[in-house]
Amino acid sequence: MPEHVSGRLAGDVDLPTTATETRAQESSSVFWLLVIGGLMMLVGGWLLPWFVEPTANGIGASPMDVVASPPRGVGSLLVYLMGLSMLGLLAGAAYDAVSLRLRRGQPHRWARQRAVLAAVGMVCTVTVWYLIAKRREEPLFGELSPLALTDNAVWLTLTGFALCCLAYGFRRPIAARSGLTLAAVALVVGALVPLIFRQSIEFISWAAGAAAIYTLLALGLNVVVGFAGLLDLGYAAFFAIGAYTCGSLASSRHGDVLHIPFWPYPFWIILFLGAAVAALFGALLGAPTLRLRGDYLAIVTLGFGEIIPDAANNNAFGQTGGPNGITGIHHPSLFGHDFGIDPRPYYYALLVLIALIIVVLRNLERSRIGRAWVAVREDEVAASATGINTVSTKLLAFAIGAAVSGFAGAFYGAELGIVSPDDFQFAVSVTALSTVVLGGIGSITGAAVGGLLISFIIFWILPHAQEWSMTFGNTTGFTALSSVDYSKYVYVAYGVILVSIMLLRPAGLIPSRARKVELQAGGESEPLAAVRGRA
Amino acid sequence: MEGQGEVRAVLPPLARRRSLLRGGGLAELGSRAFPTVLIGALVLMIIDVAARSGVSVAGSQLVNGITKGAIFALIAVGYTMVYGIIELINFAHGDVFTLSAVYGKEIGRGLSWIGMSLWGVSLGSLATRGPLGLAAVLLVLFPLTMAATGITGVLIERVAYRRLRDAPRLAPLITAVGVSFILEGSMLVTQGSSNVRTDKEGWIRGTAFTAGGVDVHWADIFVVGMALLMMFALQAFIRSTRLGKAMRATAQDRDAALLSGVNINRTIAATFFIGSALAAAGGLIYSIFFDSVVWNLGFGFGIIAFTAAVLGGIGNIVGAGLGGFLIGLIYVFGGQITSGQWSNSIVFAMLIVVLTFRPVGLLGMRVPDRA
Amino acid sequence: MTQTAATPEPPAPEAPPAQPLLELRDVDVLYGRVQALRGVSLHVQSGEVVALIGSNGAGKTTTLRAISGLVRPARGEVLLEGQPIHALGAEVIARRGVAHAPEGRRLFSRMTVRENLEMGAFSRRDGSELRADYDRVYELFPRLRERSTQLAGSLSGGEQQMVAIGRALMARPRVLLLDEPSLGLAPILVDAIFEVIREINATGTTILLIEQNALLALDVARRAYVLETGSIALSGSAAELQQSEAVQRAYLGM
Ligand SMILES: Nc1ncnc2c1ncn2[C@@H]1O[C@H](COP(=O)(O)OP(=O)(O)OP(=O)(O)O)[C@@H](O)[C@H]1O
Ligand SMILES: [Mg+2]
Repeated sequence: MPEHVSGRLAGDVDLPTTATETRAQESSSVFWLLVIGGLMMLVGGWLLPWFVEPTANGIGASPMDVVASPPRGVGSLLVYLMGLSMLGLLAGAAYDAVSLRLRRGQPHRWARQRAVLAAVGMVCTVTVWYLIAKRREEPLFGELSPLALTDNAVWLTLTGFALCCLAYGFRRPIAARSGLTLAAVALVVGALVPLIFRQSIEFISWAAGAAAIYTLLALGLNVVVGFAGLLDLGYAAFFAIGAYTCGSLASSRHGDVLHIPFWPYPFWIILFLGAAVAALFGALLGAPTLRLRGDYLAIVTLGFGEIIPDAANNNAFGQTGGPNGITGIHHPSLFGHDFGIDPRPYYYALLVLIALIIVVLRNLERSRIGRAWVAVREDEVAASATGINTVSTKLLAFAIGAAVSGFAGAFYGAELGIVSPDDFQFAVSVTALSTVVLGGIGSITGAAVGGLLISFIIFWILPHAQEWSMTFGNTTGFTALSSVDYSKYVYVAYGVILVSIMLLRPAGLIPSRARKVELQAGGESEPLAAVRGRA
Repeated sequence: MEGQGEVRAVLPPLARRRSLLRGGGLAELGSRAFPTVLIGALVLMIIDVAARSGVSVAGSQLVNGITKGAIFALIAVGYTMVYGIIELINFAHGDVFTLSAVYGKEIGRGLSWIGMSLWGVSLGSLATRGPLGLAAVLLVLFPLTMAATGITGVLIERVAYRRLRDAPRLAPLITAVGVSFILEGSMLVTQGSSNVRTDKEGWIRGTAFTAGGVDVHWADIFVVGMALLMMFALQAFIRSTRLGKAMRATAQDRDAALLSGVNINRTIAATFFIGSALAAAGGLIYSIFFDSVVWNLGFGFGIIAFTAAVLGGIGNIVGAGLGGFLIGLIYVFGGQITSGQWSNSIVFAMLIVVLTFRPVGLLGMRVPDRA
Repeated sequence: MTQTAATPEPPAPEAPPAQPLLELRDVDVLYGRVQALRGVSLHVQSGEVVALIGSNGAGKTTTLRAISGLVRPARGEVLLEGQPIHALGAEVIARRGVAHAPEGRRLFSRMTVRENLEMGAFSRRDGSELRADYDRVYELFPRLRERSTQLAGSLSGGEQQMVAIGRALMARPRVLLLDEPSLGLAPILVDAIFEVIREINATGTTILLIEQNALLALDVARRAYVLETGSIALSGSAAELQQSEAVQRAYLGM
């Protein structure tokens, strides 16, 4: 019995007890983000060519293949070294995770050694890359072709090692300025993405498409759900409104067919028009319904989210083009440079936009309005008693959230050249909501991370599962794997992911600080016995 | 009848007065005018259809709306019970409805195999065999399918919702959506993306009587009767049995129910069982007598049924029934008037209007404010 | 501030003669990161009225919740007649004869008074004796008989408190846990309620009582424990505590 009890005790005290500890935990979550990101890149780089370009003639072979073949020359040795330092880092992280879980021993031991390890890996990677690219010393790699290590893999590995090196080498400074570090790293890595994935235009398309769009949606929805505490189940409606507004303004239909004066408008103006119209609709929907609270508001938004695509599908006012949607949307251009169908300019534009929006939201969160949101979220009656205009506060959240999704919609149409009702179904609202919840409700970093992660899972991993499984099956001889039809399982997979994330981490990956206190303290009315499911 | 048996019963006068102060005049206005306007609009729609397409069309659409409404009502009860007791919008419930049709198909197939091998009698399409078939359906297929679906509902609660019972609101909601995807996905995997073939011919589809040029089928009578019967049985159950009392107590104050010795987990599981079993009744009726189901049918049906629950006043079982029938009519006539295009939008607009002007629904329930 | 708070006398005549009916041993309770109880030990003998006093937030309610299973102790044991009950679910504990009338009444506000009382008897199977128990509750609180078909949520505060106590009594408890039965009541009603509490005790029901009004609590109780920031600061017979200077200063306003 005593053992049992002390085990439970340990489980319960896992929470920090002081403000400094809270901060320490938060900065450590940035540390973990860096480490995990770095390791993922390492593993990804190691396996990437294997997944991306599986060909017989050696192109796209991975470091794995180098290791698998008998050692030939210096190059192989360097690759071995790379692999070893990667394994070392992975083992270290696993040790950290285990000791954190068991609360035994001390995590982050040998941090300096690990930094050195990562640095060694970095040097090896650079050397290998130099040898391949500049010297083309084929013999170094034995029988493999000089293209054996694709650039993608090299860049990815390099970035991975750099991140680990940074994380382990500068643990304390990072802890001191965690937010700043994260922002800087994210910006640098973000800016490098088109370079890192130079050879995989498809991946950049994903980054400029699903990833950026869902990050935007997550950021915007986080204002509504996270900051103001208003549950919105029809967020896709505003996304649709933004996309349709911009789409129809930029579509040749309006210029060439309807002869609207001054057409074409520059995309950069349309962008803000779209956001403004979305915000307007946000306010319009919000005004009568914000009186409602909790679930009822959620249901109203759900209904709205169903009506908008339905209206688009039925060619409301003859403006939405029915089920085919709006086609012929012009691509934006900047300084005379047409963006066309190249994803990179979109990517950079969206990166800048996202960075700006994050800065604005961060400031909003800390402003008077941000505090009003918190007040309204925590206790609406008390908030109005202290003189906060709750309706306008909530309206503002709704409008801002809608505006952000309006931006997303504008880019969405501009990139694809077409918007159609199918793109704005309930699943989109759910996906946006799950990004926010996964990331950690109310946390900007969380929303961004959640957006990236969910879009990675849904729009990169799931669509490619088929291909990878086929490669894997062919390489390993499990031919059964080659013929699995993964598209059938997408729904199940997504459902399982949603459920397991919620069961394992109901507060999200990066819970916001304020929310964390709330969640842990719990309300007076909540039976704690039931919370733990033992009642 | 009213105000006693529902899981979440009538608001005490005191609190009603307070919410009036807080809620402003809009809701109060709605509470008087709303039912009138709603019924009035419905009548106008019916008259409009009758004037434009003839009385017999209006009549058969009336029958159509009422039978659809019966199905919606059976689904809505599950929403309303679950919401009443754990304040969760169980998004997966619509898919439980679809799932029950699949279960029904498989169980029917199993039964016919047994019938073939034991007695050499094909029970293949049970409903087609005249009275005997109907008896077999009622006595074997319905209970089995309802039990299987009920157990599925209980399992869903156990695995996906219980641990999150007191987690922040959004977590179980997202989980419910996840479960919905899992159910839809597994039906897609096992049944394919086309219609699930269910046996649905038979004498029960035949005409029972014709009134004013409108054919009323046995199936119509059957489904409406079944829905009403189940609703009233459930109502009585919740009002007077021990378990029913436990459900009401749990819905009102979970801690206090615990302290009274109510086994919360078992009570909530029972709620899920009953709700799912009723959805199964609906699903079975629908798939046998009316139409085939598709893997993602439950989503749309679910939201419409949920609207019905909200319209009737969430937490209120009689309300869910009433809401179901009304929404069925609105759905059918709205669709008829807009030539089928806008029926969903009309229902959802309805939802928004109800919530804005009369958030407590027709049979007035208070909504918990906990966000 | 722990046990040291100047216990003037040796802590009561308690070389536990018999096995206590209810006992807490070294109980810790955590709400997330907030530690609400630290090493609380107390015992209640059969037939006693024991009071738990202490300032707001001292952990009195938490102590009762730990007994009735609404929160789970992180450490320590709760024993009912020597049997550990802290690992059981609240509903099982209730069935074992621990009735808890919680803070703030917590009635089933959309059920009638009668139904609330029925819920109190929910876990009982002895249908035949139920009638007598309803009569007993209605005798203790004649007001409730008049109101028996009224919705509990529409009762006055005092009437609600009567229902709460009545509901707990309907379980025929071995131990009755009362959390501030006088909360928000007019002085005259407070006296009435305490009179009823005495009557209940006189019929043999053991009572553990929380009461802000220490004077009243020490009046009705045989023994009392003083909680301070989650641990027992003082304990003793009611008479001893009434004499204790610390208690007088802090709780009796003398
Ligand atoms: N659900 C909860 N979550 C977090 N902290 C809680 C919770 N319930 C109680 N606490 C904390 O535990 C401590 C003890 O609370 P408890 O309710 O037991 O006090 P109390 O002695 O009953 O006070 P009062 O006389 O005001 O009723 C307080 O500091 C309180 O803030
Ligand atoms: Mg208290």
